[in-house]
Amino acid sequence: MKFRAKIIDVGCLNHFTRVVNTVSRLTKACVLRLTCDHLYFVLSGRVATGGVSMWCELSQVNFFDEFQLEGVSADANEIFLEVAPENLSRALKTAQNAKSVKIKLTKKNCPCLTLAAELPSLSSVSRVVTHDIPVDVIPRRLWHDFREPQMPDFDVSIYLPPLKTMKSVVDRMKNLSNYLVLEANLNGEMNLKIETELVSVTTHFKELGNPPWGDDGSQSSSPTHRDPDLMAEARVDIKKLQQFLTGQQVNPSRAMCNIVHRRILHLIFLHEDVSLQYFIPAVM
Amino acid sequence: MALRTVNSSQSAYACFCFTPLFFQQYIPDPDIQNGCEAVKCKLNMKCVLPLFRCASWRERRVDRCEISINIPNSRVIFQFHCRHGITKTYNLGYQECEALQAVFPAHLCPNVLMAQSKLLGDIVVHFPVSQEEVTLSMSSFKVTFKTFCEEENNCIKGMNTELMLYPDEFDYFQVGEDSAVTFCLKELRGLLSFAESYSLPVSSQFGVAGQPISFTVKDMALEAHVVLSTLTDPNHESPSRPAPGDDCPVNIPKTSTAEISTCEGPMETEVCVADGEQVASSQGSEVFNPALHMRKMIQLHAPGEIPSLVPESALTTPVTPATFKIRSLLFGAVYSDGGNDKTVDLPSLACASDTEEDGGTEEDLGNNPLSSTLAVRFRLVFDLSLQMTSFEVRSSKAEEPRNRCGLQVPARNRKLKQPSILPAGNSRQSSD
Repeated sequence: MKFRAKIIDVGCLNHFTRVVNTVSRLTKACVLRLTCDHLYFVLSGRVATGGVSMWCELSQVNFFDEFQLEGVSADANEIFLEVAPENLSRALKTAQNAKSVKIKLTKKNCPCLTLAAELPSLSSVSRVVTHDIPVDVIPRRLWHDFREPQMPDFDVSIYLPPLKTMKSVVDRMKNLSNYLVLEANLNGEMNLKIETELVSVTTHFKELGNPPWGDDGSQSSSPTHRDPDLMAEARVDIKKLQQFLTGQQVNPSRAMCNIVHRRILHLIFLHEDVSLQYFIPAVM
Repeated sequence: MALRTVNSSQSAYACFCFTPLFFQQYIPDPDIQNGCEAVKCKLNMKCVLPLFRCASWRERRVDRCEISINIPNSRVIFQFHCRHGITKTYNLGYQECEALQAVFPAHLCPNVLMAQSKLLGDIVVHFPVSQEEVTLSMSSFKVTFKTFCEEENNCIKGMNTELMLYPDEFDYFQVGEDSAVTFCLKELRGLLSFAESYSLPVSSQFGVAGQPISFTVKDMALEAHVVLSTLTDPNHESPSRPAPGDDCPVNIPKTSTAEISTCEGPMETEVCVADGEQVASSQGSEVFNPALHMRKMIQLHAPGEIPSLVPESALTTPVTPATFKIRSLLFGAVYSDGGNDKTVDLPSLACASDTEEDGGTEEDLGNNPLSSTLAVRFRLVFDLSLQMTSFEVRSSKAEEPRNRCGLQVPARNRKLKQPSILPAGNSRQSSD
């Protein structure tokens, strides 16, 4: 198993750092899946995480100048590593003005991802900072736990309102209630609702637009059969939603969510070279 | 004026010496010039820090700060003259104590590094704030800073960081002996941010593992030292021959946080110290055996000669009488009754503030108008991240034998200065 990659461009480095920062705010530990073309940060839904799952896909060619991978075996040319994204984030943080950053899989006392950043220095030779991030190699028999999640059979798909607005609304609602209901319909209308004994608050968003999934999407009920005014809703833990919205460091070019009525809230953030999917289970 | 402190496990020492140039006015007691002892007292850090951390400082409302000592009432008076005619006066009670001075023969250290504070700041930024210990390795070709992990198991959990620098990045690079010293980084950060705010270079002297490492920042108006203990290398450490006058070593129980207890065992028990007893202090570093280090430091000068211990020597934390002697080994050696010859031999890490200038300090010495600088600098001084329980305020010469003397208003400027030294309405003279 071998892995070596190198980032030279400062812009790519900053972008990569922002993605890693976003992931580190969502979870303390996740799986890093490496293939020849992509990197994936995967968190599979478990009770421990409250059932949320995350799938973040990066196209390696857009970040790395050099990328060499030798997977577990010829027919399974992938590497799955369990890593704490916060360590990666910390290591990248101080390397923001580096001339180059090399990442490779090494074995010190334990398997590590070694990040070596070449920093500009006063002397003729650059300063080298090396960070060894401990990782756990995940055996092949467990790989099926970390498959790409299937697009759920959603009832409604809608573009999200501007993130900043949504975030501030959710922040304020968090003070009032632990649970938030997100409902939307195919008319581009979305409501965020909280209801407690003392107070109920609803924020209405209009004219958001619905993504045209059409033939690509795996939805069983085509849009024409569904009443456009009919709301699909999901009641979720507000902290999880807020954590997701707060952690965003990359401004997505497209932000949308799919709702499976009373089951799952599926948030998708798309960027040119990064896609981030987050699944929050609905609670009763 | 010197501010000194040491942490509860005696593994870190800091001293900030301010010459009168630092202050706008510096008026020592005339009795002190006449040969009486300087005022040496200690204040509780928790009482002093908040004075300099309050909102008035952040909003820059303080114009002037006056510090004076009222010996008859055992009070140190901090008076802040703020904007809009507001004056805040704080009277803090102090405790008399002995001089606290680490003996550190800096000029004997084989390895010396001097660098701009920015360089060191750039180095420590790579280490997480929670990282306690860091190993500095030096050879003729390079200098390495590395995370230190005590056991194999811990390394697996945490991230390891290593940073390599070349000699030409330093302003001064002298390697007498290839060595790798491990010290607590947390305690250094305070000094580094202080140095960075003043853009002063930081110089460091150290030897092999086990010998203390010192960091110094110097300016015309002030001098700051931090001396940190380093981990001993268990492979090379061998207990030195016990010198006469030494008492039992310090055995720090693993669970104690502030107190240091001693054991009345024989000298040979020092071997077990090197096995790595942990101090559950802020550093988590291995126990710093003052006795062992002290002996080494003294033996560099005068083998076998240890000044006689003064039972009432420096106490920084209230402890049982058995611990008196241990502390005084490290910090009292410079200071001993009638041992003036020896004190001269042992170079003190921090000398008294006015040994650098001539006598006659009754006039205003501050030629530089440092009106708000004093305020700002004081605040920065107290931002040191050492876990301190007390610090000392010494107003003048240190080597004189103890004698109580009153804080007198300088004869010449009596009318002018009286309000600043004594609280209003109090016109007491000497207290003896």
